[in-house]
Amino acid sequence: MKWLKRIFDKSEKHFSGSGKLAKAHALFDATKTVFFHPLRRTAFIPFLRDCLDLKRYMTFVLISLVPVTIFGIYNTGYRAGLGSGVELDLLDSFLHGSYYVIPIILVSYVVGLFWEILFAGIRKHKISEGFLVTGLLFPLTLPATIPLWQVALGISFGVIIGKEVFGGTGRNILNPALTARAFVYFSYPVSMSGEIWIPNLGAVDGMSGATPLAVAAQGNQSILAALSDMGFALKNLFWGFVPGSIGETSVFCIVLGMFFLLVTRIANFRIIAGGIAGLIFTAIVFYLFGEDPGSWIKAGPLYHLFAGSFLFGITFMATDPVSAPGTNEARWIFGFLIGFFTVTIRVANPAFVEGTMLAILFMNVFAPLLDHMVVKYKVSKRIPNV
Amino acid sequence: MVDHLSLFINSVFIGNILLAYFLGMCSFIAVSKNVETATGLGFAVIFVLTVTSPVNWLIYHGLLAPGALAWAGFPDLDLSFLKYITFIAVIAAIVQAVEMIIDRYSPLLYVTLGVFLPLIAVNCAILGTSLFMVERNYTFMESVIFGAGSGTGWMLAIVSMAAIRNKLKYADCPRGLEGFGITMIVAGLMAMTFMMFSGITL
Repeated sequence: MKWLKRIFDKSEKHFSGSGKLAKAHALFDATKTVFFHPLRRTAFIPFLRDCLDLKRYMTFVLISLVPVTIFGIYNTGYRAGLGSGVELDLLDSFLHGSYYVIPIILVSYVVGLFWEILFAGIRKHKISEGFLVTGLLFPLTLPATIPLWQVALGISFGVIIGKEVFGGTGRNILNPALTARAFVYFSYPVSMSGEIWIPNLGAVDGMSGATPLAVAAQGNQSILAALSDMGFALKNLFWGFVPGSIGETSVFCIVLGMFFLLVTRIANFRIIAGGIAGLIFTAIVFYLFGEDPGSWIKAGPLYHLFAGSFLFGITFMATDPVSAPGTNEARWIFGFLIGFFTVTIRVANPAFVEGTMLAILFMNVFAPLLDHMVVKYKVSKRIPNV
Repeated sequence: MVDHLSLFINSVFIGNILLAYFLGMCSFIAVSKNVETATGLGFAVIFVLTVTSPVNWLIYHGLLAPGALAWAGFPDLDLSFLKYITFIAVIAAIVQAVEMIIDRYSPLLYVTLGVFLPLIAVNCAILGTSLFMVERNYTFMESVIFGAGSGTGWMLAIVSMAAIRNKLKYADCPRGLEGFGITMIVAGLMAMTFMMFSGITL
């Protein structure tokens, strides 16, 4: 490591003070802190409670995303193979999957980092490591067939309007990755709709596959029978061998990431537990009082939990420490309402197949209000100073 | 009863008067600096809407609608072109009353609301609600529910906006965006999240 330190020490003078490259100091600082612990203590928000600085904190989130990403690449390749009528083996699936997924991730990182560096240079703040998470989360919520220019446009919107106009990481209101996705979702609904079109690899025609949430039963069939006919039995949903956005399909990999985040205490368990409780509660209510046996009303809590992007969202998006509430009681309510709205949208709103993204964004808007109410309540409980 | 409940939910969330129809923007932007003030104005708007909407219903269907004056011997008379001016007059009168009541019972709120309290009279959300009520052919009871629901939706939006702006005190916006600029952006983002409900039919 000594030679590395020498390189950094030697080149630092160019990047600071009146050096030639002083404008790029943020970039220099960001690269240096990948290898070395920063000397300064945190001088401005976001503050963290313990010895972890923001970079390590965000690195832990990246580690938790590794299983999801790897499985996403594999599944995309496997689906693409099925789309052209070939059942690919493990390695080929990876190669084909990389062919689709890696460019999306690269575009997201490159374009996002461009804006990040531009803002950091002009506004003289540090390049935030939070972007490393945003830049990976955003592609994972996209279907593999999305055009790359839409990825670039989406991440630009997410970084600029979702984060940088507020002053960068720690000041934003909504989750930047979800803001980016919502922008693409509303602007280009065709490439984001529930039907994930699987590209064909040189074969005659492609296959269009419905995601589990888009399934509706025909005739007198129950929704569960329809789902298992389509190959969406609970077991497949758990392991993730279903079509869907890149990162959302495998419950197993998401739960791995979730445990990692919970054990390292990066994610707040109250939000996740509240969310799952809200989802299960609402799904049971709809199950008991709903009438149409062929729709998702009658799917029951387990299917609602495993299908779609709910677990992905509640693990990686809702627990974003910036846009989630900061008080414990508010976190329970926040999570619970995300679960509630997710199921409500899935069941009651014919316009959207999946509700997780919008439910989280909606609750992000109300997070400051929840905090405010909790604080007010606690103040009113306090014994007044005589 | 179920119809009335779904009309209420409809007007609070799906057709939120502020974030789906963008009515009542001016006081939404101007008075959302502080949660307590926003709550006070929110309640005032709920009250004004719940009163003006049915009063305007009575006036419209009793006097202005085509054929409403049949009892006085004018079955062909159609005075509905007078609805704008009549509605505004009714709203202004009721806002005056509300102003006096608030001044009497909560002087502090009266002072903090300042000029925006009389400005409720020209709040587009109030007139908009009355006009929607006519356009959608609501019954009397529905006009009460619709007024209350629109007011509640407006209050929900302004109170959460006030809480967000409280958090935005720590933001570090580019100079040109400070204050109202960033508030408009936040309002846009809020409207985007409220699109969650668009498409639900109750």
